[in-house]
Amino acid sequence: MTAEIGQAAIYLSVLSCLWAIGFLSFGLWIRNARAIQSGRNAVVATFVLISVATGALIYGFVTDDFSMRYVVEVSSAAQPVLYKIAALWGAMSGSLLFWLWLLTVGGVIVVWQNYQRNKQTQDTLADYSLIPIAIVQLFFTILVTGLIDGIYNPLARFPNGQVAADGQGMNPLLQTPLMAIHPPTLYIGWISLTIPFAFAVGALASGRIGSGWILRSRRWMLFSWIILTIGITLGGNWAYQELGWGGYWAWDPVENASFMPWLLGTAYLHSVMIQEKRNMLKLWNILLITLAFQFTLLGTFITRSGIISSVHAFGGSGIGGYFLSFILASTAGVIGLIIYRWNRLKSANRLESLLSRESAFLLNNWLLVGLTLIILWGTLWPIISEAINGEKSSVPEAFFNRVVIIPGILLLFLTGAGPIISWKKITLNNFRRMFVFPFIIGLSGGALTWGFLALVGYTFPLFSVLCSFAAVFVLAAIFAEFYRGAKLRAKRQETSFVNGLNLLIQRNKRRYGGYIIHIGIVILYIGIMGSKGYFQSESKSLTLGDSMEVGKYKLTMIDAFDKEHVNYRRMGVVFDVEKNGKRMGTMEPARHAYYAKPDEQPTYESAIRHFGVNDLYIGLGDLPLDIKTGGLVTVQWFYNPLIGVVWIGVAVMVLGGIVAIAEKSERSRDS
Amino acid sequence: MGVVKVKKQSRLKIVAASAILLGGMAFLVVAMTRSTSMRHFTPAALVAEASSVDDQLVQVDGLIAEDSSEWDAANFKLTFAVRDRETEATVNVIYEDRLKPDNFKDGGSVFVEGRYYADQNLVVATKLMTKCASKYEGAESAVPTDETSYTSE
Repeated sequence: MTAEIGQAAIYLSVLSCLWAIGFLSFGLWIRNARAIQSGRNAVVATFVLISVATGALIYGFVTDDFSMRYVVEVSSAAQPVLYKIAALWGAMSGSLLFWLWLLTVGGVIVVWQNYQRNKQTQDTLADYSLIPIAIVQLFFTILVTGLIDGIYNPLARFPNGQVAADGQGMNPLLQTPLMAIHPPTLYIGWISLTIPFAFAVGALASGRIGSGWILRSRRWMLFSWIILTIGITLGGNWAYQELGWGGYWAWDPVENASFMPWLLGTAYLHSVMIQEKRNMLKLWNILLITLAFQFTLLGTFITRSGIISSVHAFGGSGIGGYFLSFILASTAGVIGLIIYRWNRLKSANRLESLLSRESAFLLNNWLLVGLTLIILWGTLWPIISEAINGEKSSVPEAFFNRVVIIPGILLLFLTGAGPIISWKKITLNNFRRMFVFPFIIGLSGGALTWGFLALVGYTFPLFSVLCSFAAVFVLAAIFAEFYRGAKLRAKRQETSFVNGLNLLIQRNKRRYGGYIIHIGIVILYIGIMGSKGYFQSESKSLTLGDSMEVGKYKLTMIDAFDKEHVNYRRMGVVFDVEKNGKRMGTMEPARHAYYAKPDEQPTYESAIRHFGVNDLYIGLGDLPLDIKTGGLVTVQWFYNPLIGVVWIGVAVMVLGGIVAIAEKSERSRDS
Repeated sequence: MGVVKVKKQSRLKIVAASAILLGGMAFLVVAMTRSTSMRHFTPAALVAEASSVDDQLVQVDGLIAEDSSEWDAANFKLTFAVRDRETEATVNVIYEDRLKPDNFKDGGSVFVEGRYYADQNLVVATKLMTKCASKYEGAESAVPTDETSYTSE
């Protein structure tokens, strides 16, 4: 019965979306407050209805209702409750419903914030923005009704009252706590991008293209940015722990799909400052946020349509066409609005010099958008190459690694240069005061790195030296900013330096939060440089009692085990780890065989040991039946230097984001 | 704030700088694409065009030919043949120094990336991805989740 209620709720929400679109448009057009209010109520109604549907599906999971097709597909009776709930986003139908539900939450928050705000002012910007939100909701609602080809209603039952004995269970690879939180995190990040986009459309529709929409969408964007940063990193961390290839990023189409909106969002967070400060780039900002939103849909298109994955021989689905149509239609809508508002989109100011903060921001934007396009090019190369000469081709990971490195290092340099260069035009005084010190420190950092790497046998590590130079330069520049600011505050308030620092950040959270993010970026770069540039790996075949040397470490395979757990069987071996003759404990690489998936090979459960920020990583191959009597065990080890620094860098970025988002005021305090 | 007129000269500089940046990026992308791009083949197509792709990087998508695979654990060497989905054409594959991938089973879908040597009809693989046959053909579970494309490397 609950499934039927849920289905009914989905059908009804088609009506509530249409209601919201109709009444808001009509009310705003004839300026009728009651019609507008009715439209807002419909947005809330959609949330209630989709919550009912989502609740009904979760109920189906928890009660093991195997008459429901989706429950059978991604859940099973033995699956722990956490993963029964996580099964909600375990496959396509459910993840679309979950996506829609999050979007309805976003809609309600916009309505609520607007209600709070309208106690003081009568501003219709948010009401305009609710229209695009309702349109996107309508699109997803139609997808989950199951009325279109290629996708079924997640609440649908099997025809003719069939009931499966048990579910197929979720993909075992996904049954880890990380996977329980990684997809929803990414979804929240993607979906919250809809809201700043909606504000941009609202601004265009209402004709108020000043900084009002920027101020109201900025925090949403920062929120998406933080969440996407976390989500992408969780995905990388999951791949590192579960996939057994020792890395965290491989430029897979799915990873790229999550990374491209992040890059565009980052560009937007910078370019809005130019609009606030100098009243420039109005059109650019609208285009950027539109692109960022479209790229979240494009990501779904790329990964779900089968167009790209068909190269990898995976089954596709018919959903791609709908996404592509929606992307094209909504882009056309935005372009139409831009043409309609063309004369209001002109900049009041122009660039005055190549060497100014505006230029630095612009260059940052060019590089970020350029990187996005490069990644898009590489991801879509199978389609592009086929269109060019009829031969389907792909580019490997190496393409991305090589092509992003120069723009990447330039961006890193700008992370330090942007905040210290003066507005309008650099002066000699500004250059002397701000640049000379970090530059010298940076050069020595680069030289030290070169020296160290030369000592360990790398004669000309050009990119590492450039990266270290830029990294140290940025750190010096940012720390100098903190130092100068804190000292000044301390002097003015006659207090200690630490208090001064605290005051400095408190008074301008957005700016100094941004600087903290920049420090995180530097740390992240150092981690990527070490772990991507200098990892070591080797494959070994061993029998019990054998040892292998991994740099300073000696690993001896001392035992094998085979344990039964609730829904899987864990088999593996035990390595004794020694460093310079000193025992450091054990490592247990394993494989998990899930009972619900007897046909599939056991998953990798690699053993990872952290030594400071460096990791020792052991992946385990197929286990022979005769381990105890001399059977060969195959393992692959990786030594990943500085990989811990990657996670630290991201943590600092997130911390900086939280500091920056804490600034409540909608006034700009940036100097 | 009034409209600030830009001196012609500095405007020219800005345009020139943007052009250099754009041109540089475009050049980099095209050059890298040309040097790394790998053509995608079915085993039948690869065999048919063998001489023209000798010693080139290729991707081959097909099925693991029945009874063709051999895993030499002591030397870390996996050899097998990848069979065309429609014809009987096969291409030999060697994959060394890496763990045997997950779901490596006779008849399963396999995706091979590596250098092709026409005289031996052999791909020396640098990357292998697998997908088990039942999942690939099963209508019920044909809907991939985000993560299936990671299955193995």
